[in-house]
Amino acid sequence: MASKYVIGIDLGTTNSVMAYSELGESLDIKLLKIPQLVAENTIEAHDSLPSFSYLGTTAETENGTLNLPWAEERDFATGTLARSRGADFPERTVGAAKSWLCHNKVDRRAAILPWNAPSEVSKISPVTAAQQYLEHLVSAWESEFPTTPIREQQVVLTVPASFDPVARELTREAALAAGIPSDFVLLEEPQSAIYAWLAQQGDQWRKKLKVGQSVLICDIGGGTTDLTLISVDEEDGELVLRRVAVGDHLLVGGDNMDLATAHSVSQKFAEKGTKLNPWQSVSLWHSCRAAKEALLSVDGPATHSVSVLGRGSKLIGGTITVEVDKSEIASALLDGFFPACGIDDRPQRQPASGFQEIGLPYESDPGITRHIAAFVNAHCSHDSGEVKLPNHVLFNGGVFKATEFQERLLQVMSDWNPNDHSCQRLDGTHDLDFSVARGACNYGWSKATGGIRIRGGVAKSYYVGIETAGLAIPGAPRPLKALCVVPFGMEEGTQADVPSSEIGLVVGQPVSFRFFESNTRKEDAPGFVLDHWTEEELDETDPLQATLTLENSEETFVPVKFDSRITELGIFELWCVGVNSQGQWKLEFNVREE
Amino acid sequence: MGLMAASKAFFKLLFNKELSESFQQLVDGRLQPKLESKPAKPVRKSEPKPKRSDAISLLSALQREARFLDIVSESLGDYSDAQVGAAARDVLRDSGKVIERMFSLRPLTEVEDGASIETPSNFDPAEYRLTGNVSGDGPFSGNVAHHGWKATKCDVPQWSGNKKTEMIVAPIEVEIA
Repeated sequence: MASKYVIGIDLGTTNSVMAYSELGESLDIKLLKIPQLVAENTIEAHDSLPSFSYLGTTAETENGTLNLPWAEERDFATGTLARSRGADFPERTVGAAKSWLCHNKVDRRAAILPWNAPSEVSKISPVTAAQQYLEHLVSAWESEFPTTPIREQQVVLTVPASFDPVARELTREAALAAGIPSDFVLLEEPQSAIYAWLAQQGDQWRKKLKVGQSVLICDIGGGTTDLTLISVDEEDGELVLRRVAVGDHLLVGGDNMDLATAHSVSQKFAEKGTKLNPWQSVSLWHSCRAAKEALLSVDGPATHSVSVLGRGSKLIGGTITVEVDKSEIASALLDGFFPACGIDDRPQRQPASGFQEIGLPYESDPGITRHIAAFVNAHCSHDSGEVKLPNHVLFNGGVFKATEFQERLLQVMSDWNPNDHSCQRLDGTHDLDFSVARGACNYGWSKATGGIRIRGGVAKSYYVGIETAGLAIPGAPRPLKALCVVPFGMEEGTQADVPSSEIGLVVGQPVSFRFFESNTRKEDAPGFVLDHWTEEELDETDPLQATLTLENSEETFVPVKFDSRITELGIFELWCVGVNSQGQWKLEFNVREE
Repeated sequence: MGLMAASKAFFKLLFNKELSESFQQLVDGRLQPKLESKPAKPVRKSEPKPKRSDAISLLSALQREARFLDIVSESLGDYSDAQVGAAARDVLRDSGKVIERMFSLRPLTEVEDGASIETPSNFDPAEYRLTGNVSGDGPFSGNVAHHGWKATKCDVPQWSGNKKTEMIVAPIEVEIA
């Protein structure tokens, strides 16, 4: 059955958004209003669904407090209510589930969230949390459009460009469990931001981007920062956009900035002898976000007052106000998160303190400009010792509503090459909150109607670890080599035979391969073997494993070679293919804790 | 089962004008029932939801998000202007957000205060309020003293609680030590 709509879903770390358009002659993108609990028994439709889950108490479930128009006897809530409960009941509230999905030190299918919750709370897994948000969006769609169920529509779901193949696979698992059709497409979020810009520009974009130019997309979400570089090329006289690099997954975002502001402002309240309770701390957080946006807009006021209202019904008498200067906020946020730095500066890796809780691996260096310096230095070309800066910067994420952040970033980058005056904000509207969902919608529409597509393929190269044969030395691990199985830029819908010496695998027992990825090794072809590498070159993620079975055979050993595939939908698969036998076995990521 | 269906039908008829009119016609014998074979829908277990006045839901939202009821219920005489101002700044900002989200208020005319405007000849008094020297049927011309307001939508939250709690605007908040 032909789809009537294309649906773009932004499954964000802190907010999820759904945009849609009819698959007709022209693109007309709308946001779906998402009914959700905003308080007990109270449902309101908003443009976005905060990506939080609140695990309810028995009393709440029995009284139907958390019910939705489409769900009775609910024992959890997603959305605005869940987010606001985070302040009062952190031990019952799940947040940042998406960051947990790509955290390979924990079992992401195990019920581990909320992290550190007491035993009476029945925890959920990161995959289940993602599934709950997606199920909520699917139900919102089905109640708005009952005659065109989502399983018959074209769906595009976005993931961070820096998501590794395991996190993509887990996202896919959550999406399928939530009822999203199996032919949905994964799209990288920064690319989606470009598609939103393209949708808004119409044919004008060809006048704004020139052959040989490049665009840096700086996407700062609530909890993560994602970098992508796009180049403008020419093919058969047509302009072509090509994604040339993506950055590492950085766990630093807007929420860190609001917390930093709230922390410094709460010192001022402490000086006045006021100790804030959790409720007041949240209200302070919101007030600080408003203060940040006002003070850090270009030509913003020099001071802004921040108040915390009295907790009880005596509101006016209990209200305390402090004045916050622009200079204080600027030094805390601009210098903390967007410090001036040179092109050769690198993020500082601080040695971990003796005891470290597992939790999420937040960035030890919150200086986003230093992360960008490392990225630009690695991926932009150098002419006569000077770096060629990206010509355009596209901003995404609510953080950039404080426009001084945009100015600061452009200034820091211009200083990297004073002779290069080309680095500018990409001309046009940057829709900071909703462009990812809108862009996903435009991508789906372009895919169906033959419009502009960004080329790129895989943004990294992938490797499996092979232990070398030879005499084992007691107590020493066998030397490990890395065999390239997916080259940088391998396109969706293609496969690669990996030339290698035959690898003998034991039948009937689980076999496991260590798995690595690289942002920087762009020349390695399938079959290329690395003998040694630095920590910056290859990142290890979850291992791949399979149990080989052979019917009607006495063999205990099978010689195999690898065959890698990137599906049409952007999913990575690695297969072992028998050299002498007919069998082939798919390797699956093992996401369990070691 | 029959009682449940009847009570569901009752609430449907009560709240759906179109449906209740055709029901009346059906009872009067003016309308033949249309026979359609529809797939059987699963019967919802729940009782019909009580409906609460949108006004209570609006008050509840203003209190929850902006502490509006606290500030208007407090005796202003006890505080200095600066104290009232400090509290009011946040309450007004957050109340404004709630009202904008639910009603999207827009001026009724684009003409600015003090500038001249001409009314149509047969205008609705709900749309224009004339003061001063008014005689005859118009059209009139004069200066805008106030641009007026109109709500471009009315999206008050739906409520799904029970009869016992429908008049509760804000719950008692208890801190457990």
